[in-house]
Amino acid sequence: MSETTVATRPDEAGTTSAHSVPPRRRRRPSVGRIVAWVVMVVLLIITLFPFYWMLRTALSSNSALYAEASSWLPVDFSWGGFERVFGLQSTEEAIAQGGSGASIDFWRYLGNSVVVATGITACQVFFSAMAAYAFSRLHWKGRDRVFAIFLLSLMVPVIFTLLPNFLLIRELGLIDTLFGIMLPGLFMTPFAIFFLRQFFMNVPLEVEEAALIDGASKVRVFFSLIIPMSAGPIATISILTYITAWNDYFWPLMVSYSDESRVLTVALGNFNEQSPQTGPDWSGLMAATLVAALPMILLFLVFARRIVNSIGFTGIK
Amino acid sequence: MKTTTHRPTLARRRRTATVATLAAGVLALAGCAGSGSAEDSVALDYWLWDANQLPAYQSCVDAFEEANPDLQVRISQYGWDDYWRKLTASFVAGAGPDVFTDHLTRYPEFAERGLLLDLTTLEATADAEAAEFQEGLADLWVGQDGAQYGMPKDFDTIALFYDATLITEAGMSPEDLDDLDWNPEDGGSFEDAIAHLSVDANGVRGDEEGFDPENVAVYGLASNGSGGTDGQTQWSWLAGSTGWTFTDADVWGTEYNFDDPQLQASLEWLFGLVDKGFMAPYEEVGTEPNPQQALGSGRAALSANGSWMLPTYAGLDGIDLGIASLPSGPVGHPVSMYNGLGDSISSQSEHPEEAARLVDFLGSDECQTIVGEAGVVFPARPAGTEAARQAFADQGLDVSPFLDLVENQNTLFFPVTQSYGSITALVTPIMDEIYIGSRDVATLTEVNEQVNDMLG
Repeated sequence: MSETTVATRPDEAGTTSAHSVPPRRRRRPSVGRIVAWVVMVVLLIITLFPFYWMLRTALSSNSALYAEASSWLPVDFSWGGFERVFGLQSTEEAIAQGGSGASIDFWRYLGNSVVVATGITACQVFFSAMAAYAFSRLHWKGRDRVFAIFLLSLMVPVIFTLLPNFLLIRELGLIDTLFGIMLPGLFMTPFAIFFLRQFFMNVPLEVEEAALIDGASKVRVFFSLIIPMSAGPIATISILTYITAWNDYFWPLMVSYSDESRVLTVALGNFNEQSPQTGPDWSGLMAATLVAALPMILLFLVFARRIVNSIGFTGIK
Repeated sequence: MKTTTHRPTLARRRRTATVATLAAGVLALAGCAGSGSAEDSVALDYWLWDANQLPAYQSCVDAFEEANPDLQVRISQYGWDDYWRKLTASFVAGAGPDVFTDHLTRYPEFAERGLLLDLTTLEATADAEAAEFQEGLADLWVGQDGAQYGMPKDFDTIALFYDATLITEAGMSPEDLDDLDWNPEDGGSFEDAIAHLSVDANGVRGDEEGFDPENVAVYGLASNGSGGTDGQTQWSWLAGSTGWTFTDADVWGTEYNFDDPQLQASLEWLFGLVDKGFMAPYEEVGTEPNPQQALGSGRAALSANGSWMLPTYAGLDGIDLGIASLPSGPVGHPVSMYNGLGDSISSQSEHPEEAARLVDFLGSDECQTIVGEAGVVFPARPAGTEAARQAFADQGLDVSPFLDLVENQNTLFFPVTQSYGSITALVTPIMDEIYIGSRDVATLTEVNEQVNDMLG
């Protein structure tokens, strides 16, 4: 590849050529290999077991769970937990099965969560990428000092900013709106800027200089070079941001007052303890946790390979 | 070729970002537009934590809105932990509810910080009479300054839940449970019953030769943990039946009585059941004891618990639920803690008078009868209480063991004092240690001094 060629798409780049694979000879698996496989399988089981246990609990009946707490299979199999999560049970039924009397408008909460997580991810990654470009490739007075201050703000615990943010949202009249939930994370987080800056700094200068000599503006360089060449890291930070936004609990709880703006995590808090001593609705809680985690697991399954493949990629081979 | 391949992607990327941003903006605007209420009506926020009561209170609020077309009420329900976290943070930010369900352990602190309005200063609630509610409930909500900080909503007492089938199998009849007596020295006939109902892994009963306390299949008494500061369902009824009270006054006591030998003997008896094999050890129940499930799964025979648990126990599958009175103690009758919730008005409310109209309605016969008919709790007004009695009777439950206590005034008040939060933080782990068996009850005498220092 000549040096003036502009970035190829990372996922089209022959990643296999980077490391040559030795030709495989068929032979009896060695003891070491068998041990390695066994260890892998054991680790996999340990990792996946909690998920199995959640599923087993979710498919049990609350009242039967205590009688056979250590049973490996669902106790007194029932779809009740999932029915409560999707709001398919009447209040009376739910209470009778150890659930709560709160009505669940599942698809609405899911929609709210998708809107919030998507909005935060799209805006935050976009703006953070711009800032990261400014911090990594543009030269301006006091740049590194400003960046140091940014990094300092990484050390401020979220709980510190919660109340000031909440007051601000209230003053803006955005209480109980999805926009109010999104706003604090909409523009940037120091982490995203820091993360992207590291990758932008690794984009070869020559590529950028070549583009500038060809008459491209800085903006053009950012959109045509930096972003495409950093697709991997951008995908990574997007997914991280998405998962963080999706799992956020306390902030949406604070801002939301009604179903209008209730996101899934907060809504599923209903399956926790309603009042002291009544105990949680275990099967509902586990079903809710699985359902809330499922979109994130799918997201990972779809994108994991891409991220891993493209993360080490930098313009020149 | 290669130089052009990125362009469509780039354009697509740009478009996606723009579309996403626009979409977020549009949605936000839609959200803003959607959350407004009708122009000329006042919107009130009402919060509660118990989802089981939500349907009943929703009906109440519907009736209230119908009678008051100029008011709109938005009910929000959050689970117990979220509720207090959000409430506290909202108070700080001034974005809390107008009216909210309040708890005796929490209101003193709110009142101290000037976060609650005195109901007697508001038009709609000024004429509420303490006598309209079950005896003594309204007084619990009177602050040290004489202000009424809460409108009584419901009350609760303690009784014994049991599975009639299990009792019959043990050769006893449910009637046998009704007139048990107890004392801290030998446990009286109550301990005899618990012993008889305990069964070890070999089928030997607790009052028979060869009972193995290390290997118990059925405990006579279900554990509900150490009980912390108030031991509401655990030991307050035992200590109370010796004539013991938490503090030196009904409310706003200035001295706690953890140094009282009567209390210490009661605790010693209760947690001594563990060694005898009649109650589950701390290791088994941990920090999340679940007596209702212990009863439901046949792991325990008797479970002392509060009336707010009625729907939960009634919902247990496969048991023939019965309710018996607590055993009568040295004072000659049973004694139960008597506690209640109330509705409070936030001093940050922009519409205090309207909020008072809501509170007045929530404390009225009309609303409390609706709540009573739902059969989840005992409303504070006699009419509501009767409706609840009927509703539970329709479910096949005779709840008189709970209600007789109030009628006969065999009650002990919940300790409403200052600094309850700090006191709880100190006492709870100490009670856990006593339950575990790593601390002697006599040490409570020193603890009591620390507690009283906190009251200042």
